[in-house]
Order: sequence, then C-alpha cells, then structure tokens
Amino acid sequence: MIQTIEASPDEIYDIELEHSLLEANSQLAKENRALLDRHGVTAIDVMGAIGSGKTTLIGQLVERLKDRFGVAVFNGDATTSSDADLIAEQNVPVVQIATVNGCHLDANLVGKALRKTALDKLRFIFVENIGNLICPAEFPLGSKARVVVVSVTEGPYMVRKHPHMFLGAQLVVINKIDLAAAMGVSVTELTQDVHKLKPDIRVIPTSCKTGDGLDEVTATLLAV
Amino acid sequence: MHELSIASSVVENVLEFVSVRQHINKVLAVKLAIGEFSHVEAEQLRFCYMAITRQTSIQDSTLEIETVEAVVRCEECSYRGRPKYWDDALSVGPIPTLQCPNCGGTVEVVEGNDCAIKSIRFTTEDDGLAIPAA
Repeated sequence: MIQTIEASPDEIYDIELEHSLLEANSQLAKENRALLDRHGVTAIDVMGAIGSGKTTLIGQLVERLKDRFGVAVFNGDATTSSDADLIAEQNVPVVQIATVNGCHLDANLVGKALRKTALDKLRFIFVENIGNLICPAEFPLGSKARVVVVSVTEGPYMVRKHPHMFLGAQLVVINKIDLAAAMGVSVTELTQDVHKLKPDIRVIPTSCKTGDGLDEVTATLLAV
Repeated sequence: MHELSIASSVVENVLEFVSVRQHINKVLAVKLAIGEFSHVEAEQLRFCYMAITRQTSIQDSTLEIETVEAVVRCEECSYRGRPKYWDDALSVGPIPTLQCPNCGGTVEVVEGNDCAIKSIRFTTEDDGLAIPAA
C-alpha cells in the first residue's frame, strides 16, 4: 500500500511503502491453521538444535498418544530421511519435508504436507522443524503451539545464546536431564534463563531415556 | 540464513515495483524497517542483498536498515513502554525480553516485530510529473 509520494529538489523520489516481508508466510500460516481447525487437528511445531532430541521426543510422545488419538508426523530435514524413517516404524503417517538448502520450514512447505495428509482421522500433527535455533523463529507454520527442545548436552548457555527462539514458544523442554550431572549443567539455571526471557512459559525437564517428564509433556499438549 | 530468503523477498518486491513504473531511471536505495524483536541480522541482510541484486537493474542500489524500537504492554499492571532488557547475558548487546519491567509478569509485543520495506528511493527519466499514484 502506497501512502505518500515525496519529491526532493534533485528529482529523487522516495516512495513510502509498508510492505511486510514476512506477510506472505504469515498469511499461509493462517490458512494452515484454519485448515487444521476445521478438521479439529492440533499441530505442534517442535524446534531445537541438531541432536537436541527432537525426533526421539516426538517418537516418545507418539507412543503415548497413538492408541488414543490419530497422530501424524511431518519431519523437516535438509537432506536425509533418517528421522522420518525412524518415526515411520511406529506405524503412524509420516511426511518427510526436505528443505534441501533451506534452514527452516515455512508455512508453504507445511501447507503442501497438509494437503498430502488425511486430516479427518487425526487429532495431532507433530511438525519437526530443521535443527536450527535461529531461523525457524521468524516463520510461523500455523501450529497451535511451538515447543523448543534444548538438551543439557548443548551446554549451559543455550538459552541466552538463542533468546529469540524462546520468545515465540509456548513450551520449553529441557531434555537429557539424566546427563545433567555428567555435563555439569544446571537444569535449574537453564530454566531460570528461559523465565528471564518469558516469565509465564512452561518449562518441563525430560529424559527420553528414563521417561522423566514425558507424561507431563503429553498432558500439557493435550491441554493445548 | 533466513536473511537470504528475506533479501530475496526484498529484491523480488523492488524489481516488481520497478517493472510496472517505466519512468523509473535508477533505484538508489531501499529502506527496511526491522523491529528490535525481529530476528534479522543487518549485516548479513546487506550482504545477501548485494549478492542477489548483482546483474539486475537495481545492482547499484543500497539497502538501508532502520531499527524500530520495541514497545510492550503488560495486561497485569497496564505497563506500556520499552521492554526489559537482559543486560548480562553473554550477548554482544542487551536482549529484549518479554518480562514486564514493572511487575515481572509476561508482556505482549506491541511494536518491534517489523520486517518490512519502508521506502524506495529512485530517480526518474523526466521531471517526475507523470508519476503514478500507485
């Protein structure tokens, strides 16, 4: 939308625009959300670094939910299908979204995956984002909740190094707490860091190895 | 590197803007408004812009980036104003947070999420009288 036209003496023109660069993605995200809402499906966007345990966590949650609800998983991965293959062993619908060189999923790619999915039979879709703690923050996908997974093996400063990721999230999972002592990383301090950024966000410490915290994550997602 | 996709979007929009305005001689500058809460790195964005515009009609134009200050609002205590910053995190600069500077509750962002083209500066072939409104 053009607002004003202003001429300067040397015939240089400045045209003011208010053209949002992320609007196209936001619009598609809204359309994804409307489609999901019409089918009563809750999409959960799972974000986190490579190796934080996103796939394992999703696998554990699928295991806890799949007998009661229809669950599908979209696996975003730059190149491989290893995550998608792993989830497919659980006999739930899986769509692999290969971004090739892309550093994040966007609403367009997720929209394409949604159109390949029989939504009527589903209650949850877990969308595993690309392992990256910066870029996905800027691109909403149409999910009802965004979950950030950080693990203690990533060191003590993961939260403060990537603050933007947490500002837009609804749930933070601190994973691999069974390794916290060995890593010398304090789960309490990581939790405090998250709350400095966003005081009311829920933080759940988990271990996909021992099962700690996974029922709490499941219950939280059921209440989304 | 989401800066690359944002820069691509800037270039696409500017080229489209130019293509429907025959009177434009040369695009001099494109100004972006980037909010404090938006996660865009200015230097990378400039680099991507330069790389993408090479060998296009806007290759000598510059990308100017204006930071939009954040404003937050707290429902709990009705605070409205600048956000609380996390000063002693390891960052190169203070990090804007969603913690209310007044009551410590969680605030909403009112301003500072911007990532938009604010203006385009160009010269025209004639005296500019034929400039269309849109």
